[in-house]
Amino acid sequence: MSDKQIFHDSEFDLLQKTRWFSGRVAVYGILIFWTVVCLFPIYWTITTSFKMAPNVMQGHLVPLVDFTPRWLGWKSLGLSPDTIWAESTVREEFLKRFTNSTISALASSTLAVILGSMAAYGLSRFRYRFGFMRNPDISFFFLSQLILPPVVLALPFLVLYKQLDLLDTSIGLVMLYTLTVLPIVIWIMRDQFSSIPVELEEAALVDGLSIWGAFLTIVLPIALPGMVAAFILCLVLTWNEYFFAALLTSTDAKTLPVMVASQTGSQGINWWAMAALSTAAILPLIIIGIVLERYIIKGMAAGAVK
Amino acid sequence: MKVDLYNQLMRAGRLGRRDVLKGMASTGALAAFSGVATGISARPVWAADNASLRAQILKIPGVGAGSPTDADWQKVGELCLGPVKEVVQEGEFAGVELTFMGLNNQNLHNFLFRGFLKPWEAYTGAKINWIDLAQADYNARLQQSIATQTVDFDIIEMGAPFEGDVTGRGLASVMPDWVKSIIDMDDYVGYLKAPVGTWDGKTYRVSIDGDCHTFAYRTDYYDNEEFAKAWAEEGDGTPWEPPTTWQMVQKHTKFLAGKKDPLTGLDAHGYLDPLKGWGGFGFYFLESRATAYAKHPDDPAWLFDPEDMKPRVNNAAFVRAIQDVMDVMSTQPPDQINADPGTTAFQQFLAGTGSMISWWGDVGSNARTSDSSVVGDVVGFRHLPGSDDVWNHRKGEWETLASGPNEAPNMAYIGWGVYVMARVDSDSKKQKAAWSAAAHLGGKDLSLWTSAYPSGFQPYRNSHFNYGEWEEAGYDRAFVEDYLGSNADSYNHPNAAIEPRIPGIFQYYSVAEDELAKGFAGQYGSAQETADAIAKAWEEITDQIGRERQVELYKASLGL
Amino acid sequence: MSKEGDLLHVVTFDDMTPMRLRLGKLLIWGSAAVMALTFAALALAEAGYIGLEFENWRPALYGFLFWSVCLCIAQVVLHGEQGKRTLFVLPAALFVVAMVIFPLVFALGIAFSDWNLSSPTGRQFNGFDNVRQMWGDPFYWNALKNMAYYTLAILVEYAVAFGLALLLASDIKARKFFRVAFLMPLMLSPVAVSWMVGKSMMEIRFGPLARLARWLGWERPSFFGDPEVARAMIMMMDAWTFIPFMMIMILAGLQAIPRELQEAARVDGASAWRGFWEITFPLMLPVSITAILIRIIFKLKLADIIINVTSGGPGGATDSVTSFIFREYRDRSNVGYGTLLAIVYLVLIVVAITTFMKLVDRWMNPRY
Repeated sequence: MSDKQIFHDSEFDLLQKTRWFSGRVAVYGILIFWTVVCLFPIYWTITTSFKMAPNVMQGHLVPLVDFTPRWLGWKSLGLSPDTIWAESTVREEFLKRFTNSTISALASSTLAVILGSMAAYGLSRFRYRFGFMRNPDISFFFLSQLILPPVVLALPFLVLYKQLDLLDTSIGLVMLYTLTVLPIVIWIMRDQFSSIPVELEEAALVDGLSIWGAFLTIVLPIALPGMVAAFILCLVLTWNEYFFAALLTSTDAKTLPVMVASQTGSQGINWWAMAALSTAAILPLIIIGIVLERYIIKGMAAGAVK
Repeated sequence: MKVDLYNQLMRAGRLGRRDVLKGMASTGALAAFSGVATGISARPVWAADNASLRAQILKIPGVGAGSPTDADWQKVGELCLGPVKEVVQEGEFAGVELTFMGLNNQNLHNFLFRGFLKPWEAYTGAKINWIDLAQADYNARLQQSIATQTVDFDIIEMGAPFEGDVTGRGLASVMPDWVKSIIDMDDYVGYLKAPVGTWDGKTYRVSIDGDCHTFAYRTDYYDNEEFAKAWAEEGDGTPWEPPTTWQMVQKHTKFLAGKKDPLTGLDAHGYLDPLKGWGGFGFYFLESRATAYAKHPDDPAWLFDPEDMKPRVNNAAFVRAIQDVMDVMSTQPPDQINADPGTTAFQQFLAGTGSMISWWGDVGSNARTSDSSVVGDVVGFRHLPGSDDVWNHRKGEWETLASGPNEAPNMAYIGWGVYVMARVDSDSKKQKAAWSAAAHLGGKDLSLWTSAYPSGFQPYRNSHFNYGEWEEAGYDRAFVEDYLGSNADSYNHPNAAIEPRIPGIFQYYSVAEDELAKGFAGQYGSAQETADAIAKAWEEITDQIGRERQVELYKASLGL
Repeated sequence: MSKEGDLLHVVTFDDMTPMRLRLGKLLIWGSAAVMALTFAALALAEAGYIGLEFENWRPALYGFLFWSVCLCIAQVVLHGEQGKRTLFVLPAALFVVAMVIFPLVFALGIAFSDWNLSSPTGRQFNGFDNVRQMWGDPFYWNALKNMAYYTLAILVEYAVAFGLALLLASDIKARKFFRVAFLMPLMLSPVAVSWMVGKSMMEIRFGPLARLARWLGWERPSFFGDPEVARAMIMMMDAWTFIPFMMIMILAGLQAIPRELQEAARVDGASAWRGFWEITFPLMLPVSITAILIRIIFKLKLADIIINVTSGGPGGATDSVTSFIFREYRDRSNVGYGTLLAIVYLVLIVVAITTFMKLVDRWMNPRY
């Protein structure tokens, strides 16, 4: 009796085990496959920046095995070991654009997170009435800005900025970028605030804090992951923005994506230079992604399930 | 690495850089003493040193040493500053700030100018701010600046096709006489002399580039005995040699389908047609196929009727060119329908796929000096193929000329130039500064260097066709004669097809690209239908811009 | 939750003296007057009626800023606590109105005019000519049709993103690593993606994807030669960059599901499959809809990759509305017509999205 029982169990176990095992293999197989899908292009970009023409033409894959890495791509940017101390116009240009991109992306994201968090908090806590517009209408009004195709605003902005003397200034670019990412901040932060129990603030108010005091000292710290998530999304969108940057800037405020786009033209493409520039352009965001990844998910989580 | 190479060359060379500079500085100072007016007459003072100077700059960084870098551009700029020093005193433009708008193509164009102008800035004391545009942004940006009155640059690198838009509206500054003598405009090849660069009889343009399509082919295909043998069997009895007419190009292309490339061992292909648009530039490639059919020696017009701007793009000649493309589409590499001209030339042809293309002259110097070329030694050049017969648009019939095949090289884009904007005219110091910078970039010796190395610019002066200089620089004599000869033949061709310098010409090209893409994808019933669709779209553009004015400008640009 | 009234109930004791009310009104109207005066002065100066010289319209911007600040202060002065609440939304609203309304009105003006930048006559009102032209423009309708395909592809993206999120939420090792890796594509710039992926990796001879395709038995791989394949490729590249976005949202949602609910499902003896459909999926509906909606909005702007990789080809098979307008607008400088197309597109989107949201709302919260 007992023998049979044990035998039966172990067979069941074995079956379970194989099933469990094959399930694991499938799960990790998919995970690894998708990791390759996600990371290979980045790997390709970085390695291409160390290739020479024949390596590119023959599709060499692995540095040191397939081909000898060369600094060709980085040299064209003035960033290779032998050119880094020499004078280089391209590097100057690259650094200038890098700085400008950093300024516009950081400033506009910060501004959007501040304006957006305030608006989102207001919308999640109070009932408003601006003329015929009530809360849902106001929300939709903000969100609808996300829908605007950039081409609609292109020429009007060119003329408007010319009149206001904002062409080719970082301020002009920052204002426009803030406008384009503000809806996303409001969207994320509204969910974020709705998930924070109102009782918290009510308690704070009873303790004698004002609404703004409660907002700044109680609510914001709790909503911080959401703000970081919103901030990162804003950074991604503004750092990579090309259309308006090409249209509205020329000398002082020009940004990096425009430089990436101009790696091509009637002289073909130097893949190594393109790859080096692309690498330099995506690296900051990759680092931010690695460091702040957990905030993104935490931030998005709050309002997800009600 | 390149700097080292240069320094090595210098050490080994006959003449040190310092010596050259010393000599120049003294002649410069002398000339500065005698002032602007005498500077002109005393020009040959520095010209005496010229031969050695030209030989010297051609060695920077040296043929086969890969693409030049910053240090090289600055050295060239410094060495070629002589003519400017004659008319400008040291520090004369201190405090002047100029804005220069030009292209950033792969860190060429504007980046070269930066290098060339750095010594100029150091000498004159002026400062230059740069606006770099991607090629795709160029046309749009220029048009928007003009239309919204946001011209925010003092000097512009611009192609002749835009002269209608800019000089036609009085936005450019007229070239002062002292500039004309510095840049030696008599040295320009024939078709770049007036009326190109002028408007209403006034000169505006410092040429820095000459453009025409030439025909590049793989010599190893035509030296290949297997191909020769197979051609003897399958061909039409003509010898196996580079084609001289489009009819032959078609036959060779069809013949090569299914064979193997002698260099790479991959599939062999004949003539490559870029089938995807390129912001307007793609239409030049259909033009190159069509000019031999469409440009009759007795008729200067070929793209529009000069009387009423009626498009000729749907006449028998262009329809035949479109049909030609469609006929050989099956022989093209896979994905060719998504290959724009840049891809076709640089990733296919220079990388060993395909045996014939049309391209601007720089594919030649690139084949030898660019990092991205693998076909280097096996490229041959010729002016564009002709045609056995030519369409006589007035009579409406095909004609066979007594003189043999009709040839009509396509002067696509006419070349980049440097223009100074009228907004500097109010400040004479600024105006002189702007023009001297333009003159420096358009200098006779500097341009020799830009035509020999990857720069984005082609030969455009008669003095560039001095094969001895190139040979001494390290180019193979036969290669240079072949490559430069193809350019020279095209520039000086009596039946050259020159494009209309009318406002909005790129709008016509752009819409044609869209319609051609549909035609090539099989969405129109025939080549004729495709051509008719283009013609219809062109009529709409003409009406929108203003037909009467377009007719007037078109006639002017044809010299009628 | 009542439909009327604030969520956060605050009892306020505001003492609204007439003095305060007057001060508030004065702030609003006074600053408005200052702004109006600035505008008037600038307009007059531009027309040459008064002798003042302005370099630009910057003062108008300052005037508007001044008015905005006064308006915000006045809210508190006028309405006390209530005003402080308004202060949360007002700055953002003022900013958006200022940045959008003027350009949009101007855009409407452009849309109904014949304006080719190369034309010497400049802008000319032409009524509904542009609309008529649009009606007969096969390129535009073709692009709209493509947009429908592109939007439908979101369903697949959603399924993939959901699957990945489930995997990441399940019990796996090195979760942090996989999460970071899966997030990466979102960070990349579309310009860089279109070059390094669309043009380099998919290059038919040396590109690794082409070599992979050959290894898998596709003899002459051509990623952009055939209309259907080309469109699918564009969809995949776009999906690649945006799947992480949906994945994060869903993953965040999954992690927020209370553990008891999942365990309850397991105790019930529900199979994983049924548990998913009966518990997880319904719970994930709200977040899914938000994710899909945001994705649709981003998808409708799809342009960068198409412009760089295919220019809409072959034969318009991959053209998106934005990439077509982009060509009309930039390559052909046909600003008036291009802007009209964009405005029509905007109206179409707004109508479609509003309908979608209303339908979803009706479906999620049925009112009987």
